[in-house]
Parts: sequence; structure tokens; C-alpha cells
Amino acid sequence: MSTISETKTLDAQGLKCPMPIVKAKKELDTLSAGEILKVVATDKGSVLDFQGWAKTAKTAKLLDQETVSEGGRELYVHYIERV
Amino acid sequence: MSLSQQTEIEARELYARLNRGEPLVILDVRHADEYKLGAIEARVAVPQLNLPYFAFIEDEDEALAQIPFTREQDIVVVCAKGGSSEFVAELMRDKGYRTINLIGGMRDWKDFYALEDLITPSPDFQIVQFNRPAKASLSYLIASQGDALVVDPNRNLQPYLDEAKRRGLTIRHVMDTHVHADYVSGGVALSRATGATYHLSGTCGFEGELATDGKPGSIPLGSTAVRKIATPGHTPGSMSLLVNETFLLTGDTVFVRGVGRPDLGGQAEPWAKQLYQTLTVTLGDLSDETVVLPAHYSCHKEMRDDFTISGTLGEIRRENEGMQAASEEEFIAYIKRNMRPSPETYARIRQVNLAVLRVDETELEELDLGKNECAASQTR
Repeated sequence: MSTISETKTLDAQGLKCPMPIVKAKKELDTLSAGEILKVVATDKGSVLDFQGWAKTAKTAKLLDQETVSEGGRELYVHYIERV
Repeated sequence: MSLSQQTEIEARELYARLNRGEPLVILDVRHADEYKLGAIEARVAVPQLNLPYFAFIEDEDEALAQIPFTREQDIVVVCAKGGSSEFVAELMRDKGYRTINLIGGMRDWKDFYALEDLITPSPDFQIVQFNRPAKASLSYLIASQGDALVVDPNRNLQPYLDEAKRRGLTIRHVMDTHVHADYVSGGVALSRATGATYHLSGTCGFEGELATDGKPGSIPLGSTAVRKIATPGHTPGSMSLLVNETFLLTGDTVFVRGVGRPDLGGQAEPWAKQLYQTLTVTLGDLSDETVVLPAHYSCHKEMRDDFTISGTLGEIRRENEGMQAASEEEFIAYIKRNMRPSPETYARIRQVNLAVLRVDETELEELDLGKNECAASQTR
């Protein structure tokens, strides 16, 4: 488990591409610099996509990603810092 | 303006329109790594741009500024499953662009076949070529008097079943010309689904429970003469199929351009010798008019004006670089010059196709993703 403590959590379970990033961007815009958003997704494609987005994003920095098995399915968790 | 009102398109229609040379352009909004693994290709080179969808979420105006296409062009937007491309297509449409979403994205693209009828010299039999552009693979349905034989079926079985039904045919035989290493075969599953006899050379080492017909010889199909011929080389168990003494389904033995790689089994020289024998002696007796129908193509330049991929043995003997060696030594040297590493997935795909290994649906899909690397020479 990650030791990062998030400011806010976004539940993106069940959401399909592009919604996890659409919602993450919206949430992130409400945070202040230095605050951290945790996104919990079930879409496997979100792993690469969050990396790609963070690379070009001006206000987002990807701190960590992890995959957690829970209740027989995989959760893809992303920690993003508002910069 | 009717075309500009279209907002979505299916893979099959997109491929047909690209092949006809319609001036469509493609905006692929997948992650760059996914795009590199395989993009949309057709007979005519299509202008395309890869700009991931998250660039539009981050900064819409900046993303739009990177698009070289105009509001007068029909822009097909493509992603992995069709969701992000729909998002981008709508966003751009609001800005006055003519965008068309590819339904189902690359997931649908990689599994569809384009069907083309071949012109046969007799009304007694028909041959349909199933072209799967995502794998550059070709499979066939041969019909005669209500009976059908399917050769080298890929994983998506429904189109074979639909086509047989549409033509009122019973699929009585299914054949794999060899153990495929580059795609997951639909052979066993199609035989099971239809009760058809499954043909695969006995030397391949098939371990499934299904009984196989592994010997060369004729296959009873309506009134048409169909004969399996041992053509070892690409693999020791490779067989070709001669239909009506007119068409030769070669599997991966010989393509329109290039020949089947004999080095995939790690025994390049002995298999290359077998292949040379096959090409010069076994197929040497067939007339120049014989039409070769291969299981792959290396690029869309091989597609004829009627959208089929085929060549006469005469053309292939004259123009195919794999057929130009004057001796066995020259042929082996040609094979060795063209050797390159085989994709890591091949050994595993081969085991799956031999029913030696069982994997789950997710892995099957992943194994089936990459492009084929079966030709000794890649003209790409």
C-alpha cells in the first residue's frame, strides 16, 4: 500500500475511458497546489493513460500508482498532486 | 453534405472506404505506446495523427491547434474501445469539425474480416477470402453443392458461421494448413461448433481431445476435387490445399511476396532445405496458371484491384524474391539473410493452438494482438 496521504478520493470504479481522466481533471482543478487526489479506477487502460496525461499536464503530477486486488477484481489506484 | 452528417462508422465500412481511396483521414487518440503496436492500415496510405485523448481533457485549444486536418475533411476518430474517440469526436464536432467515430475502436478493428468472392472458373464451387487487416491474415471458405470447408479460421468465428448460413451451407470440414504461431487459431472451436472434421497434419503434435484428420489426400466436398498436399518447410507439418486443380491455398508456404519463414522453429537450415524441395519439386509440377491463395500478406501492395490478395504461380515464380534462388545453397543463404528474432509470444501461441496449453480469455486476447512475422522477407 502507498504511504501517500491524499486530500481527496475520487471513486472512478466502473467508469470507462475517458471518464476517469475527465473526472480526475475536474476534481484536481478544485484542489490547491500541493494537495493530493487519489483516484480508484477499475479500467486497466487507466494505468498507461494517467501516465501519459501526467506527462503533458501543467497542473498534475503523478506521484504513484498501484494495483490492488479486492473482492476478486483489480483496482487501479493513482495518486496525483496538484501543482 | 450527406457524408459530413455521418457521425459513426463500423470497422468493415471504414476499411472498404479506405481501400476505395476515399479521402478520409484518421485521428488516433490512443496512448502513443498502444498506437505504436498497431494502427489502421489499408490499400491506400491514409493520413493519420496520433494525439492522445487526454490532451483534449488537459487543454482543448492546445490540442485542437495540433491537428493538421481541416473542417472540410472527414476525420475518423479512433481509440481502443470507442469511448474516448466518441468523446473527442463530439468535442471537435462542437467546434465545426466533421468527425466520425470508429464504433468499438481498435477492439472491433482487430477482429473484423473483409470478405471478397474470388472468381472461379466453374459454378460448381465458390471461394470466399476472409481478410483480417489487423493481422494481415487470410482465411477461406470453400463451398460446393451445399458443403463448406473453412481453411485457417481466425479466432472470431461468427463471420464464418454467418456466411455459411447466408449461403445455405453446412460446414463439414475445417483445416489448419499448419500450427499457427502468429495468431490464435479458430480451427478447433469452429470444428466443435459445427461438428466438422478437423484437418491438421499428424506431424504437428496436436494434443486436443478432438479427432483430427492428419494425412494428405482428398477431402470430400460436393462435386469439387479438393486435395491436401504435404508442403513442409515453414513447419514440418505444413500442408497446402489444391482446389479443382485451379487454386492452391498455400498457408504460410509461399506468399504473393516472400516465402514462409522456416526459422521459427529454431532449425533454420533443415527446414529451409525442406521448403526448397517443396517450392521447386512438390509445387514444381503445377501450372503457371494456378492461383495461389496464401494465409498472409506482408503489405497492402499485394492487394489486387478487385481487393483480393492472390497471385498466379507464374507471377510468383517470376517476381517473388523467395523463388529466385538458383540452388538450395542460394535459397538457404537468402533465408539466413532475412532471419530476425521471432516475437516472444509465438512459442506460447503455438502451444495454445496445439491444445498443449490452456489460457484464459484475457491472455488469449493479448496473445492474439500483435502483427504477423511469418514471411521470410518483409517488404514493408
